[in-house]
Amino acid sequence: MNAFELSLPDTLADAARKAGPNSAFKAAGIDLIDRLKERIDDPETVVDLLRLRDELGGIQATANGAVRLGALTTLQELADATALDAPGFGALREACGEAATPQVRARATLGGNLLQKNRCWYYRSNAFSCAHDGSGDRCLAWHGENKFHALFGTVDCVRVHPSNAAPALVALGAEVEIRGADADSSRRIPIRALYPQSPAARAPEHVLADEEILVAVHLPASAAAGRSAYRESREKLSFDWATTAAAAHLVVEGGKIARASVCLGAVAPNPWPLDDVAERITGQTPSRELFADAARRAFRRAQPLRHNAYKVEVGQAILVDALAAAAGLED
Amino acid sequence: MSFRRPPRDEHTMKVGFVGRGGSPGVSRQVTVDVPAGDLTPWDLDTKFKTVGGRTDRLDAVAKVTGRAKYAEDMRPAGMLYGVLVRATIPDGRLEGLDLDAVRGMPGVRAAIPLKDLGNRVRWVGDPVAAIAADTLDQAYDALARVKAEYTEGDAPIDFRDHENAPALRDGVVDEPWPSQDAAKIEQALADCERTAEGTWICEVQTHSSLEPHGLVAHFQEDDSLEVWASTQAVFGVQSGLARAMGLQPAKVRVHAEFVGGGFGSKFGPDAEGVAAARLSKETGRPVRVLLSRFEEHTCAGNRPSAIMRIRAGVDADGKITAWDYQSWGGPGYAGRGGGTRGVPQWTHAAVTRNSQSDLATATDAGRSMRAPGWPQGNFATEGMLEALASEAGMDSLAFRLLNDPDPLRQMEWRIGAERFGWADRVNPTPGKPREGDAPRILRGAGLAAAFWGQMGRPGNGATCRIHQDGTVEARSGAQDIGTGMKTLMAMLTAEELGIEVAAVKVTMGDSNDPVGPGSGGSTTTPSLAPTVRHAAGLAARQLCERVADALGVAPEKVTYRDGGIDADGKRLSFREACRHVGPNPIEATGQRQRNYEGYAEHICGCQFAEVEVDTHTGVVRVTKMLAVQDCGLVLNEKLAESQVIGAMIQGLSYALHEQRVMDREVGRMLNGDFLHYKVAGPADMPELEAIMQPVANGMNNVGAAGLGEAPAVAAPAAIANAVANALGVPVRHLPITPDKVLAALAKRR
Ligand SMILES: Cc1cc2nc3c(=O)[nH]c(=O)nc-3n(C[C@H](O)[C@H](O)[C@H](O)COP(=O)(O)OP(=O)(O)OC[C@H]3O[C@@H](n4cnc5c(N)ncnc54)[C@H](O)[C@@H]3O)c2cc1C
Repeated sequence: MNAFELSLPDTLADAARKAGPNSAFKAAGIDLIDRLKERIDDPETVVDLLRLRDELGGIQATANGAVRLGALTTLQELADATALDAPGFGALREACGEAATPQVRARATLGGNLLQKNRCWYYRSNAFSCAHDGSGDRCLAWHGENKFHALFGTVDCVRVHPSNAAPALVALGAEVEIRGADADSSRRIPIRALYPQSPAARAPEHVLADEEILVAVHLPASAAAGRSAYRESREKLSFDWATTAAAAHLVVEGGKIARASVCLGAVAPNPWPLDDVAERITGQTPSRELFADAARRAFRRAQPLRHNAYKVEVGQAILVDALAAAAGLED
Repeated sequence: MSFRRPPRDEHTMKVGFVGRGGSPGVSRQVTVDVPAGDLTPWDLDTKFKTVGGRTDRLDAVAKVTGRAKYAEDMRPAGMLYGVLVRATIPDGRLEGLDLDAVRGMPGVRAAIPLKDLGNRVRWVGDPVAAIAADTLDQAYDALARVKAEYTEGDAPIDFRDHENAPALRDGVVDEPWPSQDAAKIEQALADCERTAEGTWICEVQTHSSLEPHGLVAHFQEDDSLEVWASTQAVFGVQSGLARAMGLQPAKVRVHAEFVGGGFGSKFGPDAEGVAAARLSKETGRPVRVLLSRFEEHTCAGNRPSAIMRIRAGVDADGKITAWDYQSWGGPGYAGRGGGTRGVPQWTHAAVTRNSQSDLATATDAGRSMRAPGWPQGNFATEGMLEALASEAGMDSLAFRLLNDPDPLRQMEWRIGAERFGWADRVNPTPGKPREGDAPRILRGAGLAAAFWGQMGRPGNGATCRIHQDGTVEARSGAQDIGTGMKTLMAMLTAEELGIEVAAVKVTMGDSNDPVGPGSGGSTTTPSLAPTVRHAAGLAARQLCERVADALGVAPEKVTYRDGGIDADGKRLSFREACRHVGPNPIEATGQRQRNYEGYAEHICGCQFAEVEVDTHTGVVRVTKMLAVQDCGLVLNEKLAESQVIGAMIQGLSYALHEQRVMDREVGRMLNGDFLHYKVAGPADMPELEAIMQPVANGMNNVGAAGLGEAPAVAAPAAIANAVANALGVPVRHLPITPDKVLAALAKRR
């Protein structure tokens, strides 16, 4: 990797001040350090957030039932959190508990997981000229090797968002708290808005400005209701990313689906919410047939590439599984 | 311990194996000529004290605690980091190379060209130059600044794009069978009661050794070279470097005390080793060149891809009578070495034809990898056996029993089937869920034969030293690549001397010790074991002589027996005897004779696998694997099992996950790391069991065979057959990934 200055701020304000156009925040560094070693990125300054546990750590449930998840919370802490015991939060616990490997989960932070860069093998090698990192002018995966690439929502780059946590949090209607250079620049946005509206090749993978820090994720009280589930498929159980993932949150009342929220992962440059599926099944009696029909419709809009058509079938199956689990239907 | 005294001696012994589980054993008397000086071969009646036990690997603790020092751990004072500048185009010629800009960069100590202008570039990774710098990052900084210019050719990247590649339609070879030598095979096929035909395809697998290739070289002022290498062949590295540097081999000292995996890819210094030596000579400093993970995947060899097709047939009884095999290998730029083959015994009664060709590509050259060519060939062969069994309306196991001519494997099939629970695990209605399973889950079982045919050779030495304090040393210049050879040397020495294993100190991997074999083709154990035993026997004889001298007893009245010495009616324990050794230790160098005619020149084995397929996602999980494996005399049951289990794991990974993915336009590997190149991990492991079947093969004074390859031959085939049994339709293309499973299911529907 290239030489850089390592900054170890003690306060959030200090961290935000140290950041700039040629800096990178580091949480556990699992994604960032990899990119530095591969020389995909070469920041002049790396601002380490790990010492800011007071401001960025912890899981706090508030009296009204909402939960605040500090950006430095590890995936394993989330998977085990008693504050997330309610079945409504199930998708998040499952998503974090299934990610990566035990070693990675023990270190990887929530903030880093949401902001990690995509896994496209053209992008991850600095030997290829890639439109996304600016070294090239066209997406090589589009007509190249694209077995693990996108089915939906692409503009001119077929990367997929690799985060497990993101689709679960979208399904749960989470918000993210962001802090800019000044304390009064803090804002809260729906997690969907964390990702670019048009995920073009040149668009960054999230909307945070250089000096902005993801402080926390807020789960609304409404997320605790009902039940949510996360399911994914991957080629191997150890050390692998999902080829497709789905999170579903359902509130069933009187045998009917009163509220639904659904999001796919690993199939589009952003987490891929399925609001139309949610709408279609709301008011219906949950059943595998209903979900299978909804999944079929959802994937009709898929635009498979040369090598990833299988993801259409896998994605439907995973979506039905997540919905069925959220509805409490037995296998 | 007993020497054959006369110059040559006819020795009669019992070879074979004891029957088990109701199956008959084989016991044969053979009479062999044991040359003067060799030890009486161990046979079926020999009772062992240490050999055959479950002694823990001697260096296990050192390895898991990090105390074991690999080449990768060596940091001699003043060491520089070397990197290779490698071609960025797959095919063409090197037209320009500018290293001047690099030489002045911070920390850079040397930059040397490795390829002459105008020379051919053969793949993305072909070495062009080498750089040494104070730190690795400085070396990489320099590497990024090297300017190389090329003219580009247009050699294919994928062997399927080669002009001589067979036409494929839907994954099946779509062209006529060869016309050469056709009459006999065509007739045999025509005479068959039933026939089957199919195409099988394998992708490239990389060796993925955990420790990278390379070495730390220190060129000294007296024109000698000392290196710490990661290698499967200490003496291959020695001679390779001597040749490259114009030195006498004796001037090159090679250390390889611990080796972090090689699987057939680490037999010489290779470009990186020679570069390290040259950079060291140029700078006068030790230089380390160890490959990066990307280089490991792209510049250190691989198991070639293959297309295989077979047509074959059975007679009215279900016996195989015709077998036509054709294969195309993808060995990369080497253009050869892509041959494939399956266990040959199936066709003992058949008319056969075999044709093979290689298709060169502008990619890294294939190298031998754990049974080179066999896992591919056996995947096809066993797939064909399944097709024939189904044509003949027979159960897979029954079909094997009918056609397998080997009495040893006959027994192994039965032992394995019983222990595995074949009858309960095989899916009687392939493609249909088993009772009690969720409808989306399909389960099935498969099996496959193992085979290997190497019993070692003479031409190496091993030393046994006995010190007056009773310590014993066993030494060989050969390397222990992780198989546990050091432990076996200790056990063999302890057995021969009748002492405890803990009393033996083993040293391996130093070229100053006697020459030992390269670890390839499963030959290290069979080559070295008789040598080590012989050295211990010679040392014991010297001990007798020293005791005789010291006690003033006639030498013929002193004999070595049961870990001690009988000297004219007086009994001395080993330690007591050693006191008479004196300050000058006993040192004996053992040898190995040519193999005798013993039980058999080959080993067998078989494996069983059970899989579970999620038909909605196409994901295959192996739930259980079992191997029954022979290897002549089992020297250490635990290490042998570990070797077999390792082969099953590697085979699982090959069958389901591993595949080099190339960008066909740029010619560069896309998944050249361990994040995108998929190797099975802990959570992917099935229940694994290995049952060792001892055989007294009598081919030398020990009679042990190597175990690296045979179990690797069976595993992928067994898994692929299990998948076919589950799905009701085979997937004839490795790795069996979800996309292929879903495609196969769609076709079945
Ligand atoms: C073998 C392996 C398997 C994996 N499998 C999965 C998987 O199945 N599912 C999955 O979701 N992930 C998987 N991952 C990815 C892993 O979960 C992420 O790399 C990890 O979560 C990143 O967290 P981190 O704390 O290390 O982030 P870092 O690497 O420190 O940071 C990642 C990015 O986020 C930025 N960043 C981090 N925190 C903040 C903050 N608070 N404010 C602003 N910017 C910030 C950094 O600047 C950087 O760009 C896998 C990783 C490995 C190595």
